[in-house]
Amino acid sequence: MIEAARNGSAAAFTSLVHSYREGLLRFLLTRSSSFADAEDALQDTLINAYRYLHSYDSRWRFSTWLYRIAINNAAKLRSAGTEELGDLHDEESDPLAHCIAASERENLWQCARRQLSDEVYTAMWLRYVEDMSVNDISAVLERSVSWTKVNLLRGRKTLDAELNKNATDHKSKAYG
Amino acid sequence: MDKLALQLREDAEKIDAGISPQLDARLTSSLQGVKPEFVRQPQRESKSFSFWWASSLTGVAAAVLIIVVANMRAPEPVPQTASSTPIPLAMPSIEWHAKSAVLTSPLEQEIDNLQSDLKKVEEVVKQDIDRLF
Repeated sequence: MIEAARNGSAAAFTSLVHSYREGLLRFLLTRSSSFADAEDALQDTLINAYRYLHSYDSRWRFSTWLYRIAINNAAKLRSAGTEELGDLHDEESDPLAHCIAASERENLWQCARRQLSDEVYTAMWLRYVEDMSVNDISAVLERSVSWTKVNLLRGRKTLDAELNKNATDHKSKAYG
Repeated sequence: MDKLALQLREDAEKIDAGISPQLDARLTSSLQGVKPEFVRQPQRESKSFSFWWASSLTGVAAAVLIIVVANMRAPEPVPQTASSTPIPLAMPSIEWHAKSAVLTSPLEQEIDNLQSDLKKVEEVVKQDIDRLF
C-alpha cells in the first residue's frame, strides 16, 4: 500500500492512514488551542505525509513517522497563534474540555497538560495511548533513549501523585 | 498494565475525537489535489553509440599524433663515452706551418653572404618550429 501511495495513488494513501486519523486527531486536540486548529493540523499532517512519503524509512514504524509530522504541525500552528496551551484553563476555550465526557474526576490528560512540559506530555501520550516503545518515542521526539526514559518516569510520578490525590479527595467526599 | 497506565488509556478514550463526515470529505479532497514528490536520483545521461565511437577515435588520433611528433624530433646526441672514442695515450705532435690569411675583398664579401644566408635559414627553422608547436 505504501508503494502504491508512493507512486501517486491518493486512494492507497487514504486507506493507509485511515486507521491512524482518529488517534492523530485525538492527540492533536490535546495539543491545539481549538478544534479547528486540531483539524487543520490533521489535514496538514496527512498532506505532508503524502507529499513526502518518499522520505519515509521503512525501518521505522509508520505511526512513528506520522506522529513526528503531526508534532511538527501542531508546533507550527501553536507558534503561529497567540494563545498558549497553558492559558486554556477555562472550559469555554479549551477544546479538550469540550471533547471529554463529564466525569466525577478530572481527566488525567487535562491534568497532564497542565503539569507536564510539551515534550514529556507527548512522550507520555505516545507511551500509554499509542503503545510506542521507548526507542520509537525517542525517535519521534528526536531525544536520546535515556532522556526519554528519565522523563517518562518523571511524568509517571507526577501523574501518579495526581491520581492518588484525586482518589483521596474522592474518598473524603464520599465519607463526608 | 498498572493502575496509572490503565487510567491514562481510559481517559484518552474518553476524548471524543471522531472524524465527522465533513472532515472526512475535506481530508479526502485535500489529498486529491496533492502530488507526492519523488526523489530525483541523479541520472547519468546515456551516451549514444556514435558519441563513444567519436571519443575513441579522438583518443586514438591524439595518441598517434603524439607518437609522430615525438619521432620527428632530432635524436638527442649520445654522450661520448670513453669506450666509444678511445683517446690515444700518445698523440703525435703535428707541426703547423700556418700563416695568417690576408683576406681580399671578394672573400670578405663571400663570408658576409654566407653569414646572411645562415641567418635566413635560422629564421625559417625558427618559424617552422613555432608553427608546429
